[in-house]
Amino acid sequence: MSVFPLGRRRQRLHDASPPALVLEDDWSRPSVRWGLGTAHTVLLVLLVIIGLGPILWLAKSAITPTQDTLATPLALFPHGFAWSNLTDAWNTIDIGLYMWNTIVLAFGSLIAQIVVATTGAYALSALRPKFGGVIMALLLTTLFVPPVVLLVPLYVEIVHPPLIDHSFVNNYFAIWLPEAASAFNVVLMKRFFDNLPREIFEAARIDGCGSFRLFFSIVLPMSRPILGVVSIFAVLASWKDYLWPLLVLGNTNLQPLSVRLYAIEDFTPLGYFLAAMLITCIVPIIGFLVFQRGFLRGTGLSGALKG
Amino acid sequence: MAAIRFDGVSKVYGDGTRAVKELDLAIVEGEFMVFVGPSGCGKTTALRMVAGLEAISAGRVMIGERVVNHVSPKDRDIAMVFQNYALYPHMTVAQNLAFGLKLRNISRSEIERRVRDAAAVLDLEDHLERKPKALSGGQRQRVALGRAIVREPAAFLMDEPLSNLDAALRVQTRAEILKIQKRLATTTIYVTHDQVEAMTMGDRIAVMREGVLQQSGTPEHLYTRPANTFVATFIGSPAMNLVPAPVLGLGPDSLIAGFRPEHIRVEPAPDGAVGFEARVEVVEYLGDEQLAHLRLGELALVAKLPVQERVEPGMAAAFAVAREAVLFFAAETGVAAEPP
Ligand SMILES: Nc1ncnc2c1ncn2[C@@H]1O[C@H](COP(=O)(O)OP(=O)(O)O)[C@@H](O)[C@H]1O
Ligand SMILES: [Mg+2]
Repeated sequence: MSVFPLGRRRQRLHDASPPALVLEDDWSRPSVRWGLGTAHTVLLVLLVIIGLGPILWLAKSAITPTQDTLATPLALFPHGFAWSNLTDAWNTIDIGLYMWNTIVLAFGSLIAQIVVATTGAYALSALRPKFGGVIMALLLTTLFVPPVVLLVPLYVEIVHPPLIDHSFVNNYFAIWLPEAASAFNVVLMKRFFDNLPREIFEAARIDGCGSFRLFFSIVLPMSRPILGVVSIFAVLASWKDYLWPLLVLGNTNLQPLSVRLYAIEDFTPLGYFLAAMLITCIVPIIGFLVFQRGFLRGTGLSGALKG
Repeated sequence: MAAIRFDGVSKVYGDGTRAVKELDLAIVEGEFMVFVGPSGCGKTTALRMVAGLEAISAGRVMIGERVVNHVSPKDRDIAMVFQNYALYPHMTVAQNLAFGLKLRNISRSEIERRVRDAAAVLDLEDHLERKPKALSGGQRQRVALGRAIVREPAAFLMDEPLSNLDAALRVQTRAEILKIQKRLATTTIYVTHDQVEAMTMGDRIAVMREGVLQQSGTPEHLYTRPANTFVATFIGSPAMNLVPAPVLGLGPDSLIAGFRPEHIRVEPAPDGAVGFEARVEVVEYLGDEQLAHLRLGELALVAKLPVQERVEPGMAAAFAVAREAVLFFAAETGVAAEPP
C-alpha cells in the first residue's frame, strides 16, 4: 500500500493555490484516508513513547525485583513482580516525611509567590505609585540576571539576613523568601491586571470599594486564570528544585525528596530507589490531572463588558 | 438628590490635552441634564470629574452643598452607568446589584427589597442568578442601570449608556431611563454624542465643543435660539441651512443667515418673506416627509418638505422662508447676532 498517493499530490501541488496540505475532498479518497490515518497513528504512538515511555519504564522497574533490574534491565518481569518495593521504599526511606517536606515547601512557595505577585502587581498596575515606572524597570532588569550568579550572594543573605539577626539556614523561610521575590511573577501578573477593564475598577470604586476591597472582591476573583498559571509554575519549580534546598537545608529531616533521593542513592537497593522515584513522580502527575481543567479553562471574563 | 455645580472647572491631562476649559454650569435638583457634543469634546471628562475618577485641574465641582474636588468617588454619593456597562463578571446579576449596598452596611432585608424592586422595574427577575456573560446586550445594560438605581444616590451619571444597543432597543431603553428618572426625580447627567437622544431626553442640554461649553438650555431654547453657528448646526437634523446674508438680500457681508430645513416652502416668496430660486439636486423620500437637496449658486441647502409637494431632481423652483424663521450670526465669530 502506498502511504502517499504521490502522483496525484504532486499534480495538486502544482496548481495549488490553497494553502491546505491536504484538501477537504482529498480526505474522501480511501488511499488518502488510509495513508494519512496511518501516519497520524504512527506519530501519536511515537509521541506517547517519547513522552510517557520513561515514566512507564520507571514504573516497570519500580515493581521489578532489584536482581532482575540489574541482570536483565530490558526484560519484562522475568521473575514476576515485586510490589513490596513500593511499601519497603515508603517505610525504609521514610518517603512520607520527605514527601511532606516537599509538599510544605511547595505550598509555602506557592503562597509566598502568590502574595507577593498579586499585591506587587496590584500596586504597580492599579494603584500606580509615583515611581512605579522606575520600580517596574528595576524589576525587569532583574530578569536578565542569571540565577547562578545570585547563588552566592543569596546564600550570604540567608545566613546573615538584613535587619534580622538570625540565620535562615535549616529554616523553610530560606526557601520561601527567595521564591517569593520573583520578578517574573510580578511582571506576568501586572500584564494581566493591566488588561483587566479599568471601568470595572472604577465602577467598584464608585460602588464603595477602597483599595483593599477592590483587590479582594474584584481584582483577585477576576484573576483566577493567571493565579492558576502562577500556581502551577510555583509548585512545579519548587517540586523539582534541587540545588538551593541542598545548600540551605543541611538537616536531613527538613530536606525535600529531590535532595534526599539523590543523597541516599548510593546506599539504597535499586528496587527501593526506583520505587521511591515513582512515588515522587506520581504525585505531581495526579495533581496535574486533577487540576488541568481549572488551569486550562478560559477566563470567564467575557460578557462583563460589551464588545 | 442634589444639585451639581461646575465653577470654572478645567481639566488638563498629563500629556497636556486641555479636555475641559473653564466650565460653568449649574444643574438643579432632580434635573435631567444632557451633555452633548461631537466625539472628543470633553463630555466624558466633565462627567468623570463629577464622579471623582478624574482629578480636577482648576475650578471646583459641587454636589449639593459640598465641594467635592478632593472627595473620593465612594463618598460622593453618586452612581455611574458606563458605556460598556462594567458589570462584575464573577458575580451574578443579584450580586452585581447588591454589591454597592453591602459595602454601605445596608441591612440584608433592605438590600433584598431594593434588589427585588429594581429587578422588577427592569424586568430582570428571571435572570438574577445568571452571570453577566449569560445575558444579552440589552439585559446587561439594564443590570448596569439597576446597579445605579438600587443605590438611591444623590445623582446618576451616565456615559453614553445606549450607544452599544441596536436602534430599536435604544429607543425603547431611552423611554425606560426617562420613566425611571422622572419617578425617582434623581439629578442626572447624561452624556451622549447623539443630538436626537439629547433633544428627546434632556430637561436641559449643554452643548460642548473642544472642551468649551457652547450653550446650555432647554431643547426648545437650543433649537430656536442657538447661541452660535455650531449649536445651530449641531442641534436638529438635517442641520440648519447657513448662507451669507447678502445672498438672500438679508443684510451686510458681516452676517450669516440661518434657517431650518422645515421652514423652507416651495412657493414664490409672498410679501415680507425671503425668496430664492434654486435647483433641486436630490430628493430623499422618508415616507412622512421628504428632504430636497437644493443648489443655490455655490451653496448647498436642504429643505424638509411635505410629501405632497411635487419636487423632482433637476427642476428649478422658487422657494420661500418666513422672515421670522431666519436667524442671524456674525460671520466672523459665528455668534448669534441681532437681525439687521
Ligand atoms: N486619559 C487621558 N489622557 C490624555 N488625554 C485624554 C484622556 N482622556 C481623554 N483625553 C482627551 O481629552 C479630550 C476629551 O476626551 P473625552 O472627555 O473622552 O471626550 P468625549 O467623551 O466628549 O468624546 C480628547 O481630546 C481626548 O483625546
Ligand atoms: Mg466619551
